[in-house]
Amino acid sequence: MNRKTFWGFTIPSVFIMLALMVFPLVTTIWLGFHQLLLRDLDNPKWVGLSNYTEVLKDPQFWAAMRFTLLFVAVAVPVQLVLGLGVALLLDRVKRGRGIYMAALLMPFIVTPVVGSAIFKELFERGGLLSWLYGVFFGDPFQITGGNVRWLIFIHAIWYITPFAMITFFAGLQTLPEHRLEAAAMDGARFWRTMWHVTMPHLRTLILFVALISVMDSYRVFDSVFVFAGTRFPDTQSLQVYNFDVALDASIGRLGKGHAIAVLNILGIFVVLIPFLIRSYKDQIAERT
Amino acid sequence: MSTPNTSRRYLTTAVHAGLLTLVVWSVTPFLWTLQTSIKFTRDVAAVDPVFIGYETTANAYNRFWFDSEEINMWAVLAYLAATAAVAVGLGLLGRRMKLSWPWNLGVIAALTFSLWLLPNVFETSNEFDFFKNSLIVTALTVLISISIGLLAGYGLARYTGVSGAVILLVALGFRALPRSAFVLPYFFAAKELNILDSRLVIVLAMVAVNQPFTIWMLRSFFMDVPKEMEEAAMMDGATRFEAFRKVIIPIMWPGIIATSLFTMLLAYNEFLFVRVLAPTNWTLPVSIVSLTAGESSRTITEAAAASVSITLPIVIVIILFQKHLVKGLGAGAVKG
Repeated sequence: MNRKTFWGFTIPSVFIMLALMVFPLVTTIWLGFHQLLLRDLDNPKWVGLSNYTEVLKDPQFWAAMRFTLLFVAVAVPVQLVLGLGVALLLDRVKRGRGIYMAALLMPFIVTPVVGSAIFKELFERGGLLSWLYGVFFGDPFQITGGNVRWLIFIHAIWYITPFAMITFFAGLQTLPEHRLEAAAMDGARFWRTMWHVTMPHLRTLILFVALISVMDSYRVFDSVFVFAGTRFPDTQSLQVYNFDVALDASIGRLGKGHAIAVLNILGIFVVLIPFLIRSYKDQIAERT
Repeated sequence: MSTPNTSRRYLTTAVHAGLLTLVVWSVTPFLWTLQTSIKFTRDVAAVDPVFIGYETTANAYNRFWFDSEEINMWAVLAYLAATAAVAVGLGLLGRRMKLSWPWNLGVIAALTFSLWLLPNVFETSNEFDFFKNSLIVTALTVLISISIGLLAGYGLARYTGVSGAVILLVALGFRALPRSAFVLPYFFAAKELNILDSRLVIVLAMVAVNQPFTIWMLRSFFMDVPKEMEEAAMMDGATRFEAFRKVIIPIMWPGIIATSLFTMLLAYNEFLFVRVLAPTNWTLPVSIVSLTAGESSRTITEAAAASVSITLPIVIVIILFQKHLVKGLGAGAVKG
C-alpha cells in the first residue's frame, strides 16, 4: 500500500483524534494557567502557575493521590493472580464452560456505576452481607468513612478480575498441547510446568493485562463516586477530586480543574514508565 | 489399581467446586438486586432479610418506567413479550430461509417501532426518554466509530511506513489518558458553542475516546486476513477501495461484531461524560446514580428495578454473542 492510499484510509480517524483529542489536550494545558469559574466562563484570567502551586499545597490532592496509588497497587496484582487462577480452572473443565464463563463475565460487562451500586447495596443496612456479618459478629455491618475504601478495593477485584481471566484463558487456548505433554513426560509437577511452560507462553499477555489495568485503575472514577460520593468526601480518587474541584455546583473552579488534569496526565506516564521500558526492551529483543 | 483415575475425578470435582464458588461470588449482587426489585418496601426495610415467602410486586418497575399506579404491569409485560416474540420469530424465519442482512435490519426496525409506540400505549416517565437516549447514543457511537475505525484499521494493517507506527503509538498514549483530560475541555467548548445537553456532543466524545481502542482491535483482525485476498481482486481490475469493500469486509464480520460489542458496552455504560456534558438530557446510568444516592427504602426498590432494567439488555447480548466477546478479547490481546 502506498503512502497516498494509506492516508486516504486513515484520514477520517486521524482527523477525529486530532480534533477531539489533541485539541482538548492543548486547551487543558492552556486553561490550566487561567483562573476560570464555572459561573463566569467568558472571562478566563491569566494567573500563571498559581493553580499548580495551589493544587500541590492542597492536602486533599495528596490524599487522593495516596488513595489512587494504593488502589493501583492492590487492584492490579490481585487481579493478575486471581485472573490467572480462574483461567487455569476454566481451562481444565469442558462441561459447562460456556455457562461458567457467562456468569463470571457479568461483573465486567455490567454498567460500572450499576455494578458498584448493587455491590454496595449488599453492605448497606438490610443488605445480604451486612446481615450475615451481623449473624456472626452481633451487629450488622455498616459502611463508615473508615472501611469504605476497603469495600472499594473488594469491589474492584469483583469487577476487573474477569478481564484478566478471559484474556489469560484465550492465551491458554493457544498453548500447544505437545509442550504440556513433553513436560508431563519429563515428570514435571504442576508448579514446574507452570513456571517453565505456561508462564513464558503467557508473558506478553500478562504484560498487556497489567498495562491496561494500570491505565484503568489509575483513572478509577465510577466506583469511588458511587461508594463514597458526598457521603464520605474524605475518600476520593484523583479523578473524583478533579471532578469535584472543577464542577462543584456552587464554586466550580474550571481553571484549577484543568491544572489537576495536567498533573494527572503527567502522573499516569510516570506510573507507566516501568511498563514502557519493559515493552521497549521487548521490541528491541525481538528485532535482534 | 484405580488410583490415578480416582484422583483425577477428585480433581475435576474440586475444579467444578472452585468455579461454582466463583460464580456465586460473581452473581450474588445481581440475584440480590433482582429479589429486592420485586419486594414490597416493608420487606426490604425488615431488620432480618426475608428470603422466601414474601409477596412479590412490580411496583418498583412501575414507578421507575411509568410514574403512575394506574398502569397494569401485566399489560406491559404482554406488550414486551409480544414484541420479543415477533423479533425472535422474524429472526428465526430469516435464518431458516437464509435471508441476508437486510432482513436483520427489518428485525431491528420492528423492535424500534415497538419501542417508539410504547409511550403512546402506556404513559411513560422521564426514564423512558433516558433509555431512548441511551439507545440512540449507543447506536450512533457504534456506527460512526466502526465505520471510520474500519478504514483506519485496514490502512494501518497494510501500510508499512513509519507514520503508521507513530499513529498507533500515539493512539496507545491517548488510551492511557484520564477522562478528565478530555471531559473538561469538551464541557468548556460545548458550553461556549451552546451545544451542551445535546446527544451530538456525547456521541462525538464517545467516538473520540474509543477511537484508539477501535483501530487497535480492528487492525489486529485485519492482520489475520491474507494480503493475497485483495491483491487477487485488484489484479482483476478492482480499485483498492472496491477490493476492501467487496472482498475484505465480507470476511471481517467476526472482527466487526466483536469490536462493535465492546464499543457498544462502552457507550451504553458511560457515566462521567454524560453526567458532565448532559446536565438534564441524561442516559440511563446517570438516572440510576441519581436514584441510588437516596437513602429511603422506597428508592432502594426503585433503584433495584432500574438496575435490573439496565442490565437485562446486556445479559441478552452476552447470551447471544458470548463467543464473539471472548474471541474479541483473545484477538485484541494475543496480538496487541
